[in-house]
Amino acid sequence: MKGIVFTEFLDLVEDKFGLEMVDYIITKSDLESEGVYTAIGTYSFSEMLQLLKHLSARTELSIDKLLLVYGEHFFSVLETSYPGLLASYKDPIEMISSIENHIHVEVRKIYPDAELPTFTVVDRSEKMLIIDYTSSRAMHHFGLGLMNKTFEHFDSTADIVLEKIKPDGTEVRFVIHKN
Amino acid sequence: MNNEIDILKRALAREKSARKSAERILEEKSRDLYRISQKLETLLAEKSAQLQGVFENIIDAYVIIGIDGDILKFNDAAKRLFEYNIDEEPINVVQLIFPEDHEYAMNSFLDLKKYGYFKNYEARVLTKSGEVKWVHINASIVYDVGRVPIAAQGIVRDITEIKNLEVQKEKLLKKLEGSNDLLQEYAHIVSHDLKSPLRSIDALVHWIKEDNQGQLDETTIQNFKLIETALEKMELLITDLLDYASIGAKDTLKEEVNLNDLMRDLQSILFIPDHIKVIMPKKMPTVIGDPIKLQQLFQNLIGNAIKFSDKTKGEINIDVIELEGYYQFSIKDNGIGIDQKFHNKIFEIFHSLNKSKSSTGIGLSIVKKIVDMHGGKIWLNSELDFGTTFYFTIEK
Repeated sequence: MKGIVFTEFLDLVEDKFGLEMVDYIITKSDLESEGVYTAIGTYSFSEMLQLLKHLSARTELSIDKLLLVYGEHFFSVLETSYPGLLASYKDPIEMISSIENHIHVEVRKIYPDAELPTFTVVDRSEKMLIIDYTSSRAMHHFGLGLMNKTFEHFDSTADIVLEKIKPDGTEVRFVIHKN
Repeated sequence: MNNEIDILKRALAREKSARKSAERILEEKSRDLYRISQKLETLLAEKSAQLQGVFENIIDAYVIIGIDGDILKFNDAAKRLFEYNIDEEPINVVQLIFPEDHEYAMNSFLDLKKYGYFKNYEARVLTKSGEVKWVHINASIVYDVGRVPIAAQGIVRDITEIKNLEVQKEKLLKKLEGSNDLLQEYAHIVSHDLKSPLRSIDALVHWIKEDNQGQLDETTIQNFKLIETALEKMELLITDLLDYASIGAKDTLKEEVNLNDLMRDLQSILFIPDHIKVIMPKKMPTVIGDPIKLQQLFQNLIGNAIKFSDKTKGEINIDVIELEGYYQFSIKDNGIGIDQKFHNKIFEIFHSLNKSKSSTGIGLSIVKKIVDMHGGKIWLNSELDFGTTFYFTIEK
């Protein structure tokens, strides 16, 4: 997993819960990296799982809830780092539909070894989008957070219903209705 | 307080390590990039040198034109061909097209745009000095990385010489055809004109003999006979000559000829004396050829075998064997035979070995000509006094 996901995550934890919480979840986890992360490095996904697990236990917030907040935060990282990419879209549905064929293509140019989830558009109209998420990481709520912020970015809102196709969350359907 | 300091210390240590780790990763990436760029530069230099070499050394003219038709690049051969120095005077490809070939050229350009290439374009071009040259062009579109057409390149071969030769050849062929027809006609007229005085002489001799019946001595009567024989021979010579001239002059037929039927017809035409036995194969093949000429071929060879039979029991054996791609026929006799030293000459015209009155020396020339026309070969085996075997082949 790309280092930027770790660094941004720990920054958010520090922001919301303080440096002590960062120190706690790192010390609590058994990390090969010893908690040393740089945005341009690559680290094991199990480290993220441990950090999330300990944060969830300590804050009594579900992992999904944590990932949702993190996804929402991560959108601001994209806004700051890749304004050009966002500017090429006029509409949130259009942008979410293009994750697979455009955004991920761009991501791979910078991080050729990035392990990305797959997004498949099932149905799409001007006001509605059904898109399937597939990833062994089951970080669908991170995706949901990103989607929420995408609508906000285009000054609109949407009802997004998340249906698990597989119980373990490795395949999830997003049914999006733009308001 | 101590606890807080510890946390901060640990955070600081992590940050430091992270910074160092990032620096290391970046350094590695820089080195990687440097290596890749070095590799690419070497590759680029190599490819450029190769291309430059091709561009300079290619014998044909090499031309690059922009999408708008402006000439971007000429190699030396192209400069020589078109006589333009494009570094000094910009030109457009349209200027090079010979006006009459304009439409063909424009259609070819459309093909080039549509399919990305064209091949075997042949048309005329105008050089700077106004000279018209025939060229052969293979061209293709040059695309950029995004498959957007940016130019077209073409290899232009000067085929003026070849075209001129082709035109010349065509003219010569036409002329030759005309000459042949004329010759054919001439042969007919000449033979007719030659035959009529012969007939007059024959009639006159006849009248003289009649008018002087009983008054001529033996020697004169003998001399008149000799005159008549000479006239007959002359007539035969003219007929044969006409036959020889007419072979190949007219269109030769190409049809299936059943040689069994042909042989049956032939047996009723040929006069076969009682003391000569002609043995035919049980089955003859069907070949592709001209029926009349094939009949003439067999007629001449069998006729010769009959004519030159000197044994009390003559035997003529006709046979055929099937070989890869052709049939080989043989006509064997037990006649007078032909001396080895004449084997090469007998197919030449007017080369009669026998001065008999029925031989003009044209028959075997006709035979050879017919075999040639049917894509075959003819040769013989012979021993003086024992007989001759003629072999010939006909393509399947």
